[in-house]
Amino acid sequence: MRKALLTMAAACAMTTVFAMSAMAEENKLSVYAWDPNFNIPALEGAAEDYKANVNPDFELEIITQSGSSDVEQAVTLAANAGDYSELPDIVLFQDHYIQNFVMTYPDAWIPVEGADIDWSDFGEEKLSYGLIDGQHYGVPVDNGTAIFAYRVDLLEQAGYTIDDMTGCTWEKFIEVGEAVKEATGKYLLCMDGSGNDLMYMMMQAEGQSQWKDGEPYITENETLKRVMEVIVEMLQKDILILGNDWTDYTNSIIQGDMVAGVMNGNWIIPTISSVPENSGKWELTSLPTLDGGEGYAANGGSALYITANCDNVDLAKDFLAKTFGGSKQTYDYALKNGGVITCCLSAGESEVYQEGVEYWNDQAIYSRIVEMGGHIPVVEQSDYHYQLRQLLGAALINTLSGADLDSEMAAAEEQMRFTMGL
Amino acid sequence: MNKKSKGMSVRRKQEAAGWLFLTPATILIMVMSFWPILQAVFTSFQTGAGVNMKWSEPLYNNYIRMFKDKLFLRSVGNTFLYLLIQVPIMLILAILLAQILNNKDLKLRGFFRTCIFLPCATALVSYALIFKSLFATEGLINHVLVGIGILKQNYNFLGNPTSAKIVIIIALLWRWTGYNMVFYLAGLQNIEYSIYEAAKIDGANGWKSFWHITVPLLRPTIIMTVIMSINGTLQLFDESVNLTAGGPANSTITMSHYIYNNSFNTGAPNFGYAAAMSFFVFVLVAILALINMKVGDTRD
Repeated sequence: MRKALLTMAAACAMTTVFAMSAMAEENKLSVYAWDPNFNIPALEGAAEDYKANVNPDFELEIITQSGSSDVEQAVTLAANAGDYSELPDIVLFQDHYIQNFVMTYPDAWIPVEGADIDWSDFGEEKLSYGLIDGQHYGVPVDNGTAIFAYRVDLLEQAGYTIDDMTGCTWEKFIEVGEAVKEATGKYLLCMDGSGNDLMYMMMQAEGQSQWKDGEPYITENETLKRVMEVIVEMLQKDILILGNDWTDYTNSIIQGDMVAGVMNGNWIIPTISSVPENSGKWELTSLPTLDGGEGYAANGGSALYITANCDNVDLAKDFLAKTFGGSKQTYDYALKNGGVITCCLSAGESEVYQEGVEYWNDQAIYSRIVEMGGHIPVVEQSDYHYQLRQLLGAALINTLSGADLDSEMAAAEEQMRFTMGL
Repeated sequence: MNKKSKGMSVRRKQEAAGWLFLTPATILIMVMSFWPILQAVFTSFQTGAGVNMKWSEPLYNNYIRMFKDKLFLRSVGNTFLYLLIQVPIMLILAILLAQILNNKDLKLRGFFRTCIFLPCATALVSYALIFKSLFATEGLINHVLVGIGILKQNYNFLGNPTSAKIVIIIALLWRWTGYNMVFYLAGLQNIEYSIYEAAKIDGANGWKSFWHITVPLLRPTIIMTVIMSINGTLQLFDESVNLTAGGPANSTITMSHYIYNNSFNTGAPNFGYAAAMSFFVFVLVAILALINMKVGDTRD
């Protein structure tokens, strides 16, 4: 018993020592991130930048998580336990979560107000996620601008070019898709069936939302109905393939060379360009729309947020402002080493962005993406984004198995209203 | 303590020592298990999360709500489907394997026993992931089936509601049959060999002695494995999450997975509702175990 007490006392003493040494580390910040090929190099570059140009003693501890969902879970867990002490100073996660996190756990966050950031230098759509009650909570890292990447060599075999695809209607797209399938056997579009973002991106490209005044807007929504019909038609005509899960989508379908087209957030680019044999065969453009004209959407970008556990708020704000808040050096490094494309408009004017990329047939893809990012319409978002995605994805699969689309959409709306307690 | 207890009798001393030894465990179980369970009861009467957490209106709302929730009912249906199909197949296989491997004349008995038990040493997540890659559209099973001409082209096992359920059941059978077999093997050791000899003399064949000797004498073991399997199946989680992610279109989602989805990975957690559904699972397990014990009770 006495031994146990002694051990406990020792443990307490050691914790105190650690806590004190942590307090002494005035120049140190910790951050959660998850992708060693993408956002982690970006953070490393930012730390270097800040160290070289602002504070030579600065140190950034990057704690690697296995996915964005791990960061979101860590926040949910800490917030529900009412104990933020396990959280790092800064966390990185996907844009769709922050609204709800701030509403539900207001004391878990510290707004980045007062930081030296020119907000007008960022796209309005991107900022809309982290702007809550007039306060900025997040500093954007990567840009979620959706791209449509095509294999130009395969399009050519079917008698089309990428210019035919830019601003085309979905009807025309289906026509091309059938021709490509016949000529090459490849699908012109693909998506992860377990996290189906197609409807969402297609809706945003129309400037529409599945939400209206905070409620699901599904059965009465003509545009959504048309979008769903297009997807069903593409699946039935075998020009769209759905992966069973994320790995199936990236590894078997995209890298396994089953497709001639990929539509997703631009963070999908490293996945596409990891197949060396296809170098020079891809190009990218905007999204098709229902009635023609170029479509712009965003999917899955992320931002950095300061948590309530941050002891050194001023340092954190200064670090964010002088790196991701608009530093060319940070963003150039992030682009070169992680393929992270900025949402900061002035950083997008840097020369690195104007260069043609060999893999992408020497197209200057980065400046094109930054340019497209400026056109994305702001549409109504909801905390229930992912639940609705799930329900509409299920409605789609059931429709393919023979159910009626209208009743499936009605069921999705009913379940969504149920989940929201409406 | 020594000085105080001088006045105690030997019996009192022993009792006091007993209580003393029990106290740490009791306190730990109170603090670590019972108190959280009690908190979960309170949570189950609430709705929302964080600062928006409030008492439900009416208080038992979450408990009514789940019976109107089509997705929850679907997850209950899926779980019972696994239960009704997988558990009987698994237990019959386990008992047959145990019987075969209990044969004293069988060569390499230890080797076979180890082989069949080995799957249980695999972590749940790893084996689910292995099954996922085996049954992937470009996976081994497809290659073999196409290679020997059973399938014309690769079949998307995990993308079709029925085949995805079958894959989960196959995975469960692989993982848990050996585990239950070990209990039966242990039970079989307790059956006197002379009983079988007597049966043989009376003219019973292997099948008859299995049904009339082995099964009745293994009854306590069978009841235990049935309860454990029901309990395990009702809490099925890893396979649903890792093998199929509940899909396609929620056709393989289990109760525990749905409960988890209501707490995490959604952006709008509902811990109160999730807690209420957990208590529903708890009650189900209790009822099924009770029925099982009553049915298995040989007393009149």
